[in-house]
Amino acid sequence: MEDNIVISSRIRLARNLKNYKFPVYMTTEEANNVIAEVNYALNKERKNYDLIYMKELTDVQKNSLIENHLISPALAKKNDSGAFLLSPDKKISIMINEEDHIRIQTLGEGMSLKECWDLGNKVDDDLEEYVDYAFDKELGYVTSCPTNIGTGVRASVMLHLPALSITNQVEKFLYSISQLGIAVRGVYGEGTKSIGHLYQISNQGTLGASEETLIERITQIVMQIVEKERKTREHLKKNNYDELEDDFYRAYGLLTHARKMTTDEAMKLLSLIKLGGEMGITPMVIGKDIYKLMVKIQPNNISNLEGISMKERDKKRAEIIRNELLK
Amino acid sequence: MLCDECGKKEANVHLTHIINGKKTESHLCEECANKTQSIFNSSFSMENLFSAMLNNTFNAKTYLPKKGCSNCGMTYDEFRSIGKFGCSHCIDTFKHRLMPVVKSIQGYDSHTGKIPKRAGGKFKVQMDIKNLKAKLKSAVEREEYELAAKLRDEIHALEKKIQGDE
Repeated sequence: MEDNIVISSRIRLARNLKNYKFPVYMTTEEANNVIAEVNYALNKERKNYDLIYMKELTDVQKNSLIENHLISPALAKKNDSGAFLLSPDKKISIMINEEDHIRIQTLGEGMSLKECWDLGNKVDDDLEEYVDYAFDKELGYVTSCPTNIGTGVRASVMLHLPALSITNQVEKFLYSISQLGIAVRGVYGEGTKSIGHLYQISNQGTLGASEETLIERITQIVMQIVEKERKTREHLKKNNYDELEDDFYRAYGLLTHARKMTTDEAMKLLSLIKLGGEMGITPMVIGKDIYKLMVKIQPNNISNLEGISMKERDKKRAEIIRNELLK
Repeated sequence: MLCDECGKKEANVHLTHIINGKKTESHLCEECANKTQSIFNSSFSMENLFSAMLNNTFNAKTYLPKKGCSNCGMTYDEFRSIGKFGCSHCIDTFKHRLMPVVKSIQGYDSHTGKIPKRAGGKFKVQMDIKNLKAKLKSAVEREEYELAAKLRDEIHALEKKIQGDE
């Protein structure tokens, strides 16, 4: 049975320019010069990326970009100085004047940290042909915050862990992972609390290990978590089939018939039918991209796409879900 | 100077806030400062934790000379409260004070990853040679002489390149 436990991978590289003050201290004029330099370096020969300024976007547009993981909440707050470059396939996003001058971010589906790193590494090399990076022989790439110093690399993987979550193992398991220098947090929602059983795991430290070692380490840990999730699914199927089947069909019933639905409720139910499909218990959802639907029903994505008011959102959300599932 | 908040006690805690590039200063007594600090530190981001570590390592009450970064002017006090560098020179200015803290949060104190081509300059080539020498050693141990010869030539070429640059 095809499962989709590893949803996506992401690599982020933090870089700064030697000859400009860092974002905490820079003026709007300096910020614009940094944007111009980065844009020139990557777009001079042919237009590879779209340049988008924060000041050109509405709050709903910004939040929608955050929900799609293309920009960070910190960049969205930089209304006067922030901008980003986006590749047409939306796999590469270069945030400018966030916490650091440059944050290269590459996204990939499933377990693809290696591919993301190769892609980000290439963009980094292309950029360095034209800009002067701040680099220290002992401490590596100089970042605004010493917590990112060294490689400046944050490798993260998004995981869907419903079986570990409903059996209350996730907290314990993730706690032991955090002992290994790995950070865990919920993808939507605050702190480590997760909506829709989606978790993001990433490296805590950025100094002392090479990029390849770091990626290898995260990959190993992810494989262990995936294995644990799969085992738990097997266990549940064997011992709690009737309860699961009932839960999944109830979730499916609500999703296909409700007329109003909040984000929290939708995420919880979608997570269940995603699991049901992957376990072969709810065959009618097999072949549907439930994760994509989870992103699509985020509040700002609905407002952004449909141009509707906050009041009508829950109604619209229920409609989108019904249309998608009953298609 | 009296405390901005209560106006009664002597102000001995000086805070600088930079929010969206706007700088504001406040001078508080220790009691009022503790109250405000707890509000500022309510979100547990890495930066806040880091900044808190800096404050713990170097007790806020000890006097530190006001000498700042020669390039951007950031003082160690400011760095300590924001937890972020003002420019690429700050790292040199604050390095000796910073090293123990970096080591305690990162677990390491030296970079072993990618070195930029241009900014790394000669240093990158030196590191490349070091890595190649390690590979050469293990190739010889494994008796892979063909690979070893290839590596040896690469090392020679790089060493020549460094000498040529000098």
